[in-house]
Amino acid sequence: MKKEAVHQKTTCYHCGEDCGKQIIMVEQKNFCCDGCKLVYQILNKGGLCDYYELTKNPGSSRKISVRKDKFLFLEDNKIKQSLITYSSETQTHVSFYLPQMHCSSCLWLLENLHRLDEHIVTSKVNFSRKEADIVFNHNKISLRNVAELLASIGYEPYISFKDIKKDKPHFDKSKLYKLGVAGFAFINIMLMSFPEYLGIDTKEQILVNMFRYLNLLLSLPVFFYSASEFYVSAWKSIRHKYLNIDAPIVLAVIVTFGRSVYEVVTGTGGGYFDSMSGIVFFMLIGRVLQDKTYEQLSFDRDYTSYFPIAVTRLNKQEEETVTLPDIKLDDTLLIHNEELIPADGILTRGTALIDYSFVTGESLPVKKEMGEIVYAGGKQIGSNIEILVIKEVAQSYLTKLWNRDESKSTDSKKQHSFVNLIARYFTWIVFSIAAIAAIYWSFNDPSKIWNSVTAVMIIACPCALLLSNTFTNGNVLRILGRNKFYLRSATTIESIANANHIVFDKTGTLTSGSYHDIEYVGKPLPLAYKRKLAILTSHSIHPLSKALASYFGSAVHEDVIGYTEWPGHGIEGIVEGDLVSLGSRKFILDDNDVLDETAVYFSIEEQYYGKFIFRNQYRHNVLMLISQLRKSYSLSLLSGDNAGERQFLTGMFGKHASVLFHQKPNDKLEVIKQMQTNGDHVIMLGDGLNDAGALKQADVGIAVSDNSNNFTPASDAIIEADQLPKLAKFIRLCKINKRVVMLSFIISILYNIIGIYFSVQGTLSPMIAAILMPASSLSILLVTFGSSTYFARRMGLV
Amino acid sequence: MGVILLLLAASITVAGIFLAAFIWSVKKGQYEDEDSPPVRMLFDDTIPKSNNN
Amino acid sequence: MLDHSKGTGFSGVSASSETRSELKVERFYYDNNIVKMFAYATILWGVVGMLVGLLASIQLFLPSANFDFAPTTFGRVRPLHTNAVIFAFVGNGIFMGVYYSLQRLCKARMFSDVLSKIHFWGWQSIIVSAAVTLLLGYTSGKEYAELEWPIDIAITLIWVTFGINMFGTIMKRRERHLYVAIWFYIATWVTVAMLHIVNSFEIPVSFMKSYSWYAGVQDALVQWWYGHNAVAFFLTTPYLGMMYYFLPKAANRPVYSYRLSIIHFWALIFMYIWAGPHHLLYTALPDWAQSLGVVFSVMLIAPSWGGMLNGLFTLRGAWDKVREDPILKFMVVAVTCYGMATFEGPMLSLKSVNAVAHFTDWIIAHVHIGALGWNGFLTFGVLYWLIPRIFKTPLYSKKLANTHFWIGTIGIVLYAVPLYWAGFTQSMMWKSFTEEGQLKFQFLETVTNIIPMYVTRSLGGTLYLVGVLVMVYNIYKTVTAGQLEANEAAEAAPLAKVFVPHDSQHWHRWIERRPVQMLVFSLIAVAIGGMLELIPTFLIKSNVPTITSVKPYTPLELQGRDIYIGEGCYTCHSQMIRPFRDEVARYGEYSKAGEFVYDHPFQWGSKRTGPDLARIGGKYPDSWHYNHMYDPRIMSPGSIMPPYPWLLENQLDTTSTAAKIRAMQTLGVPYPEGYDKRANEDLVQQGNKIQADLKKDKIKTGNTTEIVAIIAYLQRVGTDIKGEPKVITASIP
Repeated sequence: MKKEAVHQKTTCYHCGEDCGKQIIMVEQKNFCCDGCKLVYQILNKGGLCDYYELTKNPGSSRKISVRKDKFLFLEDNKIKQSLITYSSETQTHVSFYLPQMHCSSCLWLLENLHRLDEHIVTSKVNFSRKEADIVFNHNKISLRNVAELLASIGYEPYISFKDIKKDKPHFDKSKLYKLGVAGFAFINIMLMSFPEYLGIDTKEQILVNMFRYLNLLLSLPVFFYSASEFYVSAWKSIRHKYLNIDAPIVLAVIVTFGRSVYEVVTGTGGGYFDSMSGIVFFMLIGRVLQDKTYEQLSFDRDYTSYFPIAVTRLNKQEEETVTLPDIKLDDTLLIHNEELIPADGILTRGTALIDYSFVTGESLPVKKEMGEIVYAGGKQIGSNIEILVIKEVAQSYLTKLWNRDESKSTDSKKQHSFVNLIARYFTWIVFSIAAIAAIYWSFNDPSKIWNSVTAVMIIACPCALLLSNTFTNGNVLRILGRNKFYLRSATTIESIANANHIVFDKTGTLTSGSYHDIEYVGKPLPLAYKRKLAILTSHSIHPLSKALASYFGSAVHEDVIGYTEWPGHGIEGIVEGDLVSLGSRKFILDDNDVLDETAVYFSIEEQYYGKFIFRNQYRHNVLMLISQLRKSYSLSLLSGDNAGERQFLTGMFGKHASVLFHQKPNDKLEVIKQMQTNGDHVIMLGDGLNDAGALKQADVGIAVSDNSNNFTPASDAIIEADQLPKLAKFIRLCKINKRVVMLSFIISILYNIIGIYFSVQGTLSPMIAAILMPASSLSILLVTFGSSTYFARRMGLV
Repeated sequence: MGVILLLLAASITVAGIFLAAFIWSVKKGQYEDEDSPPVRMLFDDTIPKSNNN
Repeated sequence: MLDHSKGTGFSGVSASSETRSELKVERFYYDNNIVKMFAYATILWGVVGMLVGLLASIQLFLPSANFDFAPTTFGRVRPLHTNAVIFAFVGNGIFMGVYYSLQRLCKARMFSDVLSKIHFWGWQSIIVSAAVTLLLGYTSGKEYAELEWPIDIAITLIWVTFGINMFGTIMKRRERHLYVAIWFYIATWVTVAMLHIVNSFEIPVSFMKSYSWYAGVQDALVQWWYGHNAVAFFLTTPYLGMMYYFLPKAANRPVYSYRLSIIHFWALIFMYIWAGPHHLLYTALPDWAQSLGVVFSVMLIAPSWGGMLNGLFTLRGAWDKVREDPILKFMVVAVTCYGMATFEGPMLSLKSVNAVAHFTDWIIAHVHIGALGWNGFLTFGVLYWLIPRIFKTPLYSKKLANTHFWIGTIGIVLYAVPLYWAGFTQSMMWKSFTEEGQLKFQFLETVTNIIPMYVTRSLGGTLYLVGVLVMVYNIYKTVTAGQLEANEAAEAAPLAKVFVPHDSQHWHRWIERRPVQMLVFSLIAVAIGGMLELIPTFLIKSNVPTITSVKPYTPLELQGRDIYIGEGCYTCHSQMIRPFRDEVARYGEYSKAGEFVYDHPFQWGSKRTGPDLARIGGKYPDSWHYNHMYDPRIMSPGSIMPPYPWLLENQLDTTSTAAKIRAMQTLGVPYPEGYDKRANEDLVQQGNKIQADLKKDKIKTGNTTEIVAIIAYLQRVGTDIKGEPKVITASIP
């Protein structure tokens, strides 16, 4: 690493990354890798270099090149059909998900594809969804060509098994319609209610009646359409034998409407149409704010979006592409280097070196010999292998795990929301007040009963509470989203606030997954040897070799005589005259005492020299985060990896924290269950599929993603890895959220008391209602937005 | 002030038109992607040579 | 070249329809020529309108600047100024902005070059005829809608042409999403159409003469409902659309929050329409209607400021850019002025503030913040940005543009500040009493007191105009340096059908597929609206409190009133005494709604450069009026009123009397059956009386000279009610 530090950084003209030592120069422009250079040359040829003018280094790094014929499967008709949205005799419409899309340059380039290939008719970008709808002439170029073109300019389409089942995340528009209707009606009703408040004189009775009936007319769509939202959820809750907040609100709305109609028809008054439509309008705004969706990421990805859409099947030595659902028992699948194993099977040819890090959290690839069982989800590294399917995709061990425990639905959570609890007390209080008022008047002035009772119902509508809740949630979601912490729904805020136990996964969550801390233990190492090792390692694609190669600095491209790789053991070969061997302790020293550490031993000319000890690289500032959380939360670590770093981690988490290693996905899930049965409210942070079960089981599952576009397991929230250190703050904000709601609720209660004061006397004029309604709504709006933003700013989140 | 009815009628008619327009635009998915349009309008699709932006 | 371009223009239409099945990238051409024409018109009329404005402002402290010549008298110059600046300068500015941005936002050439041309030349000829007729004294006497009925019709036709051209372009667009700017344009079109139609209900008497359909209070309400919304939908929404297009373009960065802009639009649209009545506070308009205006005006702050902030935030982090780019400077000031004006507006609509500001120069200052700052500067910004682009050459001189900016800004300040000051002081003087409870100042004193401010104002105006002239030079040099790319080539594929989502066969789906229905639909809706509107106009009279002693005008008075209107007296004299202690003390009994039932159109006015005339009748002898009209400074030295010597010579055209009476009858003015035949006899009789009365004071004049008619009218104004048993004057101290 020191060497790296010395030379001053030159950044890649394409992707803006550090070019490292060997810089590629084209037309006085630096590139970090051939990939980037290639993209530049393509664009240059197409006269699309404005791409680089619009934003600085708009590209994404191309260091990892796309496997040739990776998109072979797009030749397969069945797959084609499942992907394309429409096809005429000459033209095909397809929509690709392009995770790399991020700036205006991307948009510009992707909408000018027709300049790169005239057979592409048009391409339209949907930035929010990171999708490009492309129309091309399939007589001239194939779907595969299009995909490869995109890949060649740095936008490799992300096509997964999920794309077969067409379930585009399209957001619910009905709320917006309702909002529009309510808004329209509200404004006009207000307009025609004011004259009465503003003292239109009796001389103009015709007008007055006109206004009243027009109001009645306008309020119909509000009552029957816009408000239906609340009827439904109220009815649901009642069916669940449970009073949620919408119940009293609906009651209030109905009473208000009923009384207003009565007043208008009997000509006794103007009614409360404005208050009613107003409150419905505001509550809808709240709901819309709160239901903000992050289209670019989906919270319930299952294995299907992780798996490839198709794999190669060997049918009597004939290679054929087959979509995952069509994989049958006893099929023989050909798995290429860097490809996923889609179904559990038995290894029938080649030695597998399978990287389960994402699946199980083990950071080292596992060696499998012929005849051994390989589990779905692992990624083969190295030569091609063949497996015999013994379980269909849907039945595979991990698949089952991910699919389990679907029962936990969000609205079962919702019921625990404190808002609903308050609402319930609230309702009872209202009823009793109404009752008291009724009784009182029945003795004194029975004519006033109906008046006062309905008035109480109207005024005591806990809509203020709903407003304060939805608006605050909406704002908090917004703020968190700005900080790249995306919550699945508003209810998650509360669950986070209520949590008292936080569980971490190690690999990929606390660590960045790759090994960079390398320590050398052994005889002093002359430069010549370093060079030899560098050469040797540069030939292997094993993660540890790669790590070493980069540790030695630039890869020197020299041939190695008799290079051999012993999967799961090590590599050796003759480098510049010396036999260099590198690998496990057993491979080099041929003894079996296993230290629980990740180390690579090496010998030169059969002579042991020393070992390299690998340590995970922990994400920036996680220690700080942990030490912060330690104060107020009980913490745990569940790692699927070896216990190599036990001391370090226990040091980090403290004695009381349970730090467990070698955790299988199922174990993790069980541990969480255990905690919950002990009455803990658990937040689980994980990144891998091995955490999927745990994430689901936990009260709040937070998926850590290095880049929110790529796969994250199902979860309640997604956090960008580099934002992890802020987690403590995020949690605090979620807690504040609750306090803000309470605060604004108290304020609204004050309004209610004023209102009740009038209504119990049966003297609640529409005017007063019309003043109280917007007054309370607006002050709530201000308080919620104001205070939540204020706190967020104080924490430096805004 | 009978004339106010006239103005009302006119105003509500217009408001109605715009309500229709609103529903239409939502239905049409005009607001599904709020990120691309403001960026897209910055580019004129003039032919490469004369592309100055 | 042009024909060729036309070809592509039209082939574009057919293409997009047939390519539904077969998409291919189409090459098409933006029509920059029409943009250029509108740009030139904008500049030309801008200069003219401002010159006229300058003249008018000078006339306010230098009466001789009226040149004793009817067409150059303030009463006719001022309407010309307002019309020229609003409909000629800003109007062409709007079309320039729309024709440039709409084509690019829709990725399509304008729907039809022919319509574009018709639109352009039609609009220009309307402007010219407006200028001529206004100077000749043909006016409907309703502010900002002075133009007479034939021109009103022409406007309607051209507006429809524009509409077809715009919606046509939207139909054949190659970009599915309608950028927020387009929504603002659509709103402008629909609403202005409706406003123009409703407010222009008038009954023609002769070619170039008509009477407003409505009378008195009704007329006032309609007029200001129109007047305010004209500001809203002619001076604001289209320019907001332009802001949302040209500001991001000029800064080359997307608008701060697109979502906010969308909310901004819909909120504005649903609220704006109702702010009108705040122009009539404390008038005879019923209180509730007044307060209604106030409430909605105040609510408007929210969306307006939303828009302003959205505009300014767009430049966050780009202030360094702003520092050197004059275009952005112009736009920033424009948006800021929009913010100021939209804040001041609602404040002015608050009754207490309005009580002070109304009828004074405060309002003039307020509107000029909007006109000079918001509309003017945004237009300049757009011109500086757009001209070099369509002429494919850099701006001739950035330095000059900066100079223009600074001169202009100083101009605005020098214009507005003195007028705010003038308005405030004059109002205070009007309202001040001595210990004995006497009015402290004569009206004339309050006028002479603010003359220095008027001078400074003209200075500011001059500066602003100089700035514009600098721009003219700058743009001229740019244009000559460059070469207009009349047809700018661009390419894009037509819209593909939406295949995936929501294929439900709803009615809006139906509209969606053929946008023309959308247009038709809205027109029908407007028509229905129109129908609905007619009904209540019949029950108008029924619900205005009638005063038995209020009688229709005599033929001579009617003729005199038309002269009063024709000379634009209403531009300086109100006829509306508000129930304030000072106004009642100064002018007399405050005005009642019932007094105006026969006023087609109403003449309440909106500015008191001269004193209120609601109770002028019988206040002075006929001879006083005679001399005063001949030269105001004889009767009241220091007066700034222009002289009207020609009234003394001109003979009344009595042939029109019959028609006028008949027209009034159809509008429900209770002249006896067949009175139109006898009308002129009565006219002459009354003329003789006045003639005789003047003779007593050694004044010789004909019995049917215009002066006689106008004296007859003035002596009548506000006298009817005096027959009534005195009502106790409710006065607000």
